[in-house]
Amino acid sequence: MDNNSARRLGLAVLGLVLTAAATAQTQNIPRTSSGRPDLSGTYDVSTLTPLQRPTELGDKMSLTDEEAAEVAEQERRRMENRNAPSDPNRGAPPRGGDGSQGAAGNVGGYNSFWIDRGTGAYQIDGEWRTSILIDPQNGRYPPTTEARQEAVRAGLGRRPQNDGTAYWLEAGLDNSGPYDNMEQRPYAERCILSFGSTSGPPMLPALYNNHKRIVQGEDTVLILIEMVHDARIVRMNAEHDPPEIKKWLGDSIGWWEGDTLVVETTNFVDQPAFRQGSGNMMVTERFRMQDAETLIYSFTVEDPTVWTAPFTGEYAWPRSDNKVFEYACHEANYALEGIMKGARLLEADFRGEEPEGVVNPTR
Amino acid sequence: MRNETNVLSRLGLLAGCLSAVLVSIGMEVVAHHAFGAEFDPNRPVVLRGPIVRVEWVNPHTWIHVEVTGDDGSKQVWMVEGGTPNTLLRRGLTRDSIPVGAQIVVDGYQSKDRSARANGRDVTFEDGRKFFMGSSGTGAPLDGRDPTERGR
Repeated sequence: MDNNSARRLGLAVLGLVLTAAATAQTQNIPRTSSGRPDLSGTYDVSTLTPLQRPTELGDKMSLTDEEAAEVAEQERRRMENRNAPSDPNRGAPPRGGDGSQGAAGNVGGYNSFWIDRGTGAYQIDGEWRTSILIDPQNGRYPPTTEARQEAVRAGLGRRPQNDGTAYWLEAGLDNSGPYDNMEQRPYAERCILSFGSTSGPPMLPALYNNHKRIVQGEDTVLILIEMVHDARIVRMNAEHDPPEIKKWLGDSIGWWEGDTLVVETTNFVDQPAFRQGSGNMMVTERFRMQDAETLIYSFTVEDPTVWTAPFTGEYAWPRSDNKVFEYACHEANYALEGIMKGARLLEADFRGEEPEGVVNPTR
Repeated sequence: MRNETNVLSRLGLLAGCLSAVLVSIGMEVVAHHAFGAEFDPNRPVVLRGPIVRVEWVNPHTWIHVEVTGDDGSKQVWMVEGGTPNTLLRRGLTRDSIPVGAQIVVDGYQSKDRSARANGRDVTFEDGRKFFMGSSGTGAPLDGRDPTERGR
C-alpha cells in the first residue's frame, strides 16, 4: 500500500470512528428542551499535552497511568524550582540581552505565577494522550507544500534577534522597516486577533487565559474566548457567506450529527489566528460531551495551499466553575506606544541624530 | 529487574521528552505583543523600592515601584507583568499586592526610554518570589491531575 492509499484508509477509519461517536447517544448529560446536548457553560482547556508529539515518541499515542503521573510530577518539580527564592542582591540581567528566544526576544518573559497552563496530560475515553494531534499517526503536522516551503525560505532572515538597534536601516538610512506603521504590526499586537490560536479555529490551549464559554441557542451558538476577547458566532443550519466575504475568525456554520455539534469554518482572512494557515483554510470542528463534566473537542484542518494533507487533533475540555474574565487589551496597553516610539529612537541613534520627544530620558 | 530498569528508563525518556517540549514552549510566548519588540536588551535594569501603585488589568498587570537614585532623587518605574486572572483563580486579589512592600525587579528598560521595564523576575527584597506559581491552580481536586490519586 503506498503512502497516499494508507493515508486515505487512515482518514476513512478515523471518519468511521468519529461518525460512530457522533451517532452514539451519550447518557446522563445535560440536554436542552429540544433534546440536544446542552453544551452551554464554561470550560478550562489548559493542558500540558503538547499540540505536536515529541518525535522521540513516534506513533505512541497514549500514556500509561504511571507515565501520566510522572509528567505531572515533572511539572510540579519544575514549578517548585521556579518558585525558589532569587538572590536578593542580584544585579541587572546581562547587557546585550539574556538570549531568550521567540516572543521573549532576548529580554525574557516573566515569573511563573502569571502562568496557568494546566497540571497534567488529559484523558479521552480513559486514555492519557501524548499529543493533541492524532492524525497523521505520528501526531505531527503533515509536510507543507513546496510553494509554502519556498515562501518560508524567502522570509528567513527578515526578523533577526532583538539586538536593540534599528537594524532595518543597515540597507539604507531611509529604508522601510517593520515599525513604520502600526498597521504593519501583527493582529494580536493590535488586539484584533488572538495569538496561539486560542480563538482559532482550531481553538488551542495557551499559557494562560484558557477559559472558553459556550452559549448555545437553537439558531446560534456563541463561543467566548478569554484570550483577546474573541467571540465566535456559529450560525446553525445555515449556508456559508459568499467566498469574497472574509472574516477575522472565518465564517462558521454548524449542524448536529446525533449528539455531536459539527462546525465548519471557511472565508478566513489572509493570516488567520491559526499559525501557518491561510485564507484558503477549511476547519471542521466537532463538540461532543464525553460525560456531564467533559466536552471532547476535535478538529480537522484542510488547506492544500499550505499542507500536503489534512490533519486532525482532539483534546478534553473539562467544565469549570470559573468565569471568563474580561480581556481589556488596550487598557493599560503601553506596549504599542512604546514599540513605535522606541523604533523612532533607535532610528535616530542609527542616523546619529538627537532623539526628540523622549519622556523621562535615562541615558 | 532488567525489565523494571527498562520500564523506568523508558519512563524517564518519555517524561524527559514531554517536559523538554513543554519547557521549550514554556516562557516563550509571553504576551499578545512580543517583549522583544518592546524592551531594549542593551538597557538592563535592577529596580529596588516600595510598590506605590498597581494597575490590575487582563492581560497586563503594571506594578509601579518608587526607586531612589544615588543622589536621593526619586523616580517611579512601571513594571510589566502578566494577567491577574491566574492570581484571581488562586484566590488573590489586587489587595494581595501590598502597596508599600519593598520589592526587587530585574528586567530590561522599554525601547522608548521611559521609566518602564519588563518584570523578568519580581521578588520581595529578601529574594522570595512575589507570589508562588502553582502546579495546581488552587482549584478543588477534580481528577484531572494523576497525582491527585491517593490523596
